Amino acid sequence: MSLRDYVDALDADATPGLSVEIDREKAVALAVFLIPGMTLFGIFSVGPIVYSAVGSFFSWDAFSMQQFTGLENWIRTFRDPLIINWENLRRWRFPMGALAQNLLWVVLHVPISTVLGLAMALLFADLRGRRILRSMVFLGFTVPTIVIGLVLLFIYDPQAGVFNELLRVIGMEHQVRNWTQSPQVAIYALIAGGIWVQTGFNMLLYSSALAAIDPSLIESAKIDGAGPYRRFRDIIWPLVRPVTAVVVIMGIIWVLRVFDIVYAAGGSAGGPNHAYSVLGIEVYRAAFEPPIDYGKAMVVALVQLVIVAPLAAYIARMG
Amino acid sequence: MSDSDDPFEPRRPGTDPERESDGRGYLSVDEIPETAPARELDWATRLANATPSLPRLLKYAIAITVAVLWIVPFLGLFMASLRPLNEIIQGWWHLEGMTLTLENYQQAWTYRTAPMRRALINTLIVTVPAVLVVMLLGAMAAYPFARFEFPLKTTLFFLILLVMAAPPELVAMGNYNTLREVGLFDTYMGLILVHIGWGLGWVVLFLRNYLLGIPKELEEAARIDGASRYQIFRTIILPLSTPALVSVAVIQFTWVWNAFFFPLVFMRSPELYLAPQVLPLMRGRIQVEWGLVAAGSVMTMIVPVLLFLTLERYYKQGMVAAVTD
Repeated sequence: MSLRDYVDALDADATPGLSVEIDREKAVALAVFLIPGMTLFGIFSVGPIVYSAVGSFFSWDAFSMQQFTGLENWIRTFRDPLIINWENLRRWRFPMGALAQNLLWVVLHVPISTVLGLAMALLFADLRGRRILRSMVFLGFTVPTIVIGLVLLFIYDPQAGVFNELLRVIGMEHQVRNWTQSPQVAIYALIAGGIWVQTGFNMLLYSSALAAIDPSLIESAKIDGAGPYRRFRDIIWPLVRPVTAVVVIMGIIWVLRVFDIVYAAGGSAGGPNHAYSVLGIEVYRAAFEPPIDYGKAMVVALVQLVIVAPLAAYIARMG
Repeated sequence: MSDSDDPFEPRRPGTDPERESDGRGYLSVDEIPETAPARELDWATRLANATPSLPRLLKYAIAITVAVLWIVPFLGLFMASLRPLNEIIQGWWHLEGMTLTLENYQQAWTYRTAPMRRALINTLIVTVPAVLVVMLLGAMAAYPFARFEFPLKTTLFFLILLVMAAPPELVAMGNYNTLREVGLFDTYMGLILVHIGWGLGWVVLFLRNYLLGIPKELEEAARIDGASRYQIFRTIILPLSTPALVSVAVIQFTWVWNAFFFPLVFMRSPELYLAPQVLPLMRGRIQVEWGLVAAGSVMTMIVPVLLFLTLERYYKQGMVAAVTD
């Protein structure tokens, strides 16, 4: 095919002037639709992320960027005992550092709330009034998380707290304490609170996955003599497994962002002697409470993103 | 109990309201049999079928116990908000000699550092524009994402996913400096803009996924009739995406109303404090003022909770779609 043929083919393709016209009209329309939203998105979301990514390699004088210092902020942050306290980690004593404590959240919170969410979805699946039951369990997820934190503070109070009353009733009087202010156990008490909230969300996702299963599949398995366990393993589980990936990843994202609950219980210090501080708390303290250390704040916030980003990419590829 | 309202399940054929209202669901006159249909089962069998078996009863008992257990903390909070401090310290679960009082609400309403009266209005001033603007701009941006090819589409898409994964703390430092430079720090407008920029990511993605599920034929027909892209957007795309827009409104409203971190960073004057920001201040120094904290919490959470209860269907469907699509 010579160049001549190619050009002829182009000419034959509709009236030339009109197609340019259409393209310009389309370009204007695209700009009108996209620019307002994407400008705000760029200035207030993408911009600050890039700013943090760049700024993490510079030294800072309060809020203004100074000179390029390479990995200095990163090395300093990872050596900071507030982020990882290797010595306490080895002896399993809190504070172990915000990164270690945040990962402890992930390890406990995510599996437990996933299993509980699935169990509840299965429990409620064929009951009358399941809508009300589900809404009761889900309610906590719609409440401001700062209120959740304050409610936890209230539940675990030594006098007024219902949890300590429960301990007294079952005869474990010696265990009664102010759970959110006892350094060695407070983090577990708060994680239990996180599970309490997240289970509702996980149950919701599993419920919608269960509702999509064709009931005749289960019926025929019943007729074939499959017991509840076999029915779960061979029919229900394979069909809800894709949702489990979403549940686990959303759980990890939620946990790495946890801030309000910890702030309500322990203030911006993250508990007595930072005993249950998490990454978000460290960012806040480094960036907005004197002595201001923007470089460290940016590194810690980026660590949060780096842990989550591959998981989010996985979700995106699935969808 | 109408189980057919379950948002995840298709309506059963017999309960289709349209079919019943236009009469097509009924038999025609010549189909009506001479005699009433005989009962297929006698009443004893029917009763036995209707009564749940023992394992099933047990299942109900467990389910109800679990659900009640799950809201006990909120019951406690509500009780505490209505009782004087000395009774709360004795335990809100002791019901004998209970005094009900609105004292706590009054105190919270006029709380000296930052009265809830002011804080709730502030929260509303920030939330309403942040929701409306995100809906409009989000729908506008989602339309090209769902229908056209354009340069940088993949890049923008990737950036949206990146922002959705990012923690809010990551954008706080940059936005703090931006708002200070343009003089919007510690203003309603500054916080509203931050919320809009933060919310646009998920809203664009959510609405794009919804629009991909709407057939293109209507738009093509309108295009042949000479409608411009703007007319198509206004008269076809927007009306068709109403359910998705309601979901966006409910979820975004709840997110902005409940947000604690952004107000904490960007609102510094007590007269501009938002409601969630005021609550931890109410704890006091030595003895926690449980009644005050509880009353403030109830006032703050009642708005998203009522919104959830009235628009539950949209909320749940939106939540599921937002994370699984």
